[in-house]
Amino acid sequence: MDLDRDLLLRNSIFKGVVIALFLLLAVNLFRMMVTRHDYYRDQALENRQVRFKVPAPRGRIMDRHGTLLADNMFIADITLGRSSLSKAGPDSTLERLMLWFGLPRQETLARLAQQLDRTHNRRRLVLVPNAEPAQIAAVEERGRQLPGVRVESRSRRRYIYGLLFAHMIGHVGEVTEADLDTTRNPFGYRQGDIIGKQGVEAAFESHLRGEGGVKLEEVNASGRIVGRQAVWLNQVSPGQDVKLAISLSLQAAMAEIIGDQIACGVAIATNTGEVLAAYSNPSFDPDLMTVRFSSQDWDKLVNDPAKPFFNRVVQATYPPASIYKPITSLAGLMAGVVDTNTFLEPCNGGWTLGDRYFKCWKHSGHGPIDHAGAMIQSCDTFYYQLALMLDIDQLAVAARAFGLGRTCSSIFPEESAGNVPDSQWYNDRFGEGKWTRGVMLNNAIGQGELLVTPLQMALFTARIATGGRVPDPVFVISPGTEPVIPEPLPFATEHMDWIRHTLRDVVAVGTGKAGALEGIPVAGKTGTAQNPHGEDHAWFVCYAPADEPEVAFAIIVENAGHGGSVAAPLASRWLEHYFREGGMVDRRTGGNSTSLSLQGDQVLEARP
Amino acid sequence: MSSMSSIFPLGDRRILWAWVLLCLGSLALLWSVTEPIKGPYEQIDSVVAKGVFYRQVVWMLISYIALFSASRVTLRFLENMAVPLFIISVLLLVYILATGPRIGGARRWLVLGPLHFQASELAKVAFILLMAQILERAKEGGRGFSVTLGTFLLMLVPLTLVLREPDLGTSLVFLALWVGMIFWFGVPGILLLGAGSAMLSAVFSFYSESVIHQALPWAVYLLVLVGALFLARMSILSKVVLLLVNLATGIGIPFFWEKLQRYQQERILTFFDPTRDAFGSGYQAIQSKVAIGSGGLFGSHYLQGTQKGLAFLPERHTDFIFSVAGEELGLVGVFILLGLYLVVILRGIHHGTHARRSFARFLAIGVVTYFSFHVGVNVAITTGLLPVTGLPLPLISYGGSNLLISSILVGLLLNVSSRTFDD
Repeated sequence: MDLDRDLLLRNSIFKGVVIALFLLLAVNLFRMMVTRHDYYRDQALENRQVRFKVPAPRGRIMDRHGTLLADNMFIADITLGRSSLSKAGPDSTLERLMLWFGLPRQETLARLAQQLDRTHNRRRLVLVPNAEPAQIAAVEERGRQLPGVRVESRSRRRYIYGLLFAHMIGHVGEVTEADLDTTRNPFGYRQGDIIGKQGVEAAFESHLRGEGGVKLEEVNASGRIVGRQAVWLNQVSPGQDVKLAISLSLQAAMAEIIGDQIACGVAIATNTGEVLAAYSNPSFDPDLMTVRFSSQDWDKLVNDPAKPFFNRVVQATYPPASIYKPITSLAGLMAGVVDTNTFLEPCNGGWTLGDRYFKCWKHSGHGPIDHAGAMIQSCDTFYYQLALMLDIDQLAVAARAFGLGRTCSSIFPEESAGNVPDSQWYNDRFGEGKWTRGVMLNNAIGQGELLVTPLQMALFTARIATGGRVPDPVFVISPGTEPVIPEPLPFATEHMDWIRHTLRDVVAVGTGKAGALEGIPVAGKTGTAQNPHGEDHAWFVCYAPADEPEVAFAIIVENAGHGGSVAAPLASRWLEHYFREGGMVDRRTGGNSTSLSLQGDQVLEARP
Repeated sequence: MSSMSSIFPLGDRRILWAWVLLCLGSLALLWSVTEPIKGPYEQIDSVVAKGVFYRQVVWMLISYIALFSASRVTLRFLENMAVPLFIISVLLLVYILATGPRIGGARRWLVLGPLHFQASELAKVAFILLMAQILERAKEGGRGFSVTLGTFLLMLVPLTLVLREPDLGTSLVFLALWVGMIFWFGVPGILLLGAGSAMLSAVFSFYSESVIHQALPWAVYLLVLVGALFLARMSILSKVVLLLVNLATGIGIPFFWEKLQRYQQERILTFFDPTRDAFGSGYQAIQSKVAIGSGGLFGSHYLQGTQKGLAFLPERHTDFIFSVAGEELGLVGVFILLGLYLVVILRGIHHGTHARRSFARFLAIGVVTYFSFHVGVNVAITTGLLPVTGLPLPLISYGGSNLLISSILVGLLLNVSSRTFDD
């Protein structure tokens, strides 16, 4: 058949157009799928892979016997992506969730708005914190209707014994701006991370925290994890446990004897320096610190005049009062100005120096009294006279030999060093020649500018008991640290022996009778710290058994009166508990403790 | 040929094989699309139900019967059918606009019990048949210009009705069919020039007015046009007419723009700048490109596409099924797919040239235009060359109406081809 030329021309044009069209498509497809393939492949990968930070479980904290004191519990939050907020209307995800869970509308929206303000852009919003199992199930089942909604589990710190360990263990909390400061942020914390804030939690942060992981999860278009091909960019390495030296039952006993008094007590194992109990009252619930609680509750705690956040064991400083007298005695003995049986002028209820009259606590006076008697009866008059035979620096040296005037725990940054004044200190304070020997009289009976912490007093007692070889207080036994062994005491062994003997008599027949224990000899010293603001503080320090010491104890009860009548009976109750329980567990562990006590004091061996 | 077997349609075997392979490809892709992603937590979020696959199988069987019938009926029967079929389809379109259910914001479906049928698909066949009939008679009568104008006005009827549904993509199919078939009829060069330059003017004017809000590009275009006309060798009258047409479209476009639906405006604007609405209408365009581009040379392997499997691709079983092909089958796969369409189109052009009767020639070129436009525009949309508008990939996308009508059109092409083989 004949085809006209026009038809053939149109055939060519039509074919040309179609082929040009397909060529255009083909070239474009080639460009996308070959030339720019890598770009699009990355885009597809980015589409479906979401980075998840997986926090490391924080190490647990246990007492010396392995009883859990702090652990983590998993709680689930129902969270929303930010895009869920932009879709309004009665059918929106947010409205549906609020309806299902019966959340109060205004309050919930306000809370979400607050989170929007506070947190940075990438973080998801928490709709229901610590969700109930029923709520979690609802989200899991109806996930298809809830794009952008996830159940996210996180771990929360739990302090099992609450107030009992608040000051020792401390607590965790969200990092603050200061923590994030790049110069002091060795672990690269980010906003929202949890960090140890106080106590052992803070001191052992690097040990407890572990290393968080990062994983890539595959998600679908609605943001739900499809659960295949999780890629770990960084494996999680969990935090390591910490074992305290404190024993739960001894700590509980300490809290029990203190009751609701404003007081604190410390007990130290004399052969290892391990802190067996350390409790400061009033305390607070550290669980409260791990969640955001109302500012009302916060104000109440902060403004409490009894200062519940104040860790009296290491932060509070008091005049040691009469429990300082062994130091004055040892200074006198070392200087050779008195002997152990020296009689000075009899006590008539006080001593006059210049135009000042220094009172003895016993206004009627002790009459003629020798050195040992003065210690046993805590006669101030004797010590005033002894003070006048010494200079202030001799006294300071003796005090510092026991670790006073410096911090002795490495884990409490807020620990106070107390104060051991010497001539330099007085010169700085009042000017050279502007102070008199009168300050010596106050120092000799542990008053005046002298300040100590309860922990220092416990350590002092332990060093008296063992002849000085007790290391600085050890709060944590795992991870272990090298104990800080102090310089040997500069005092003659017969003088130390005499002190111990006398302290035993203090409890047997002297001011510390209330600290006695049936069947087990106790050596101790009472103290009554003068308090210009109110009732005196009652001190008592002791160690037991007196002939083979294994535990040293210090307690102070604020505004409670005489140490002998108030503090000593508490010590007795605690010791009773301690020995009923079988005493130091470390007795069974053998070697170490024996060798320490052998090295520690030859006098002990010499004793029958 | 016809002695082979009575269950095979007559005509060009290459076209038939292309149809068979495209249908099998469709089933393979729909199986993949309806497969939930494997994993410890069997993914059930927004998976396209398996029923889609089985329904398409049923439609395919029906379509084969339709194709078979279309390949065997006489041309006279088809000529007789043209006017009544066109009238019926126009009435149906009106009926749907008046009473049809609104599904997904549009009235497109004729609901017959469990069956949903798009009347606009029927109108495509009817329009092709009617155009072929009119053009054949006009060829004999030799009334060129009035036929061009008359068929243009005729084309506006289904176009307007479908545009009101609203369905911009399908309405443009009628324009394309008209352009293709009237070209085959033979139009004066001045008309082609006029239409072509008017379209350019429209694009420039739109770009100036609605996208960048400054008149410069359109003004530059007009200047270039005036210069070209000044140099061109043609009558003054033609030059003036051309200039006026360009001015009219350029100025008219903003008014037309106002008439568009909000979502259509959005889509067109988003086409010029997809990031403008990365999670709305731009989302499809972006995700589709990502899917295709990530396929690479050989694809991510059948059933393994993550853009598809994790539901990042919307409309992945219908208008965007080509993206799934790109992701899972790669460049090789989509080239094979396009090659199969090219077989239908090029063989169609051949038969449109060599058929004995001009009715058959126009019929063939109508079918060819239909496939060229559908495939070209659908692929251009999925690869981001055109703004997103709903247009299925014939024979591949899920949807009974389109599969049935596309198969009938292939059947008509086979019918035409069976009458050329003797020359």
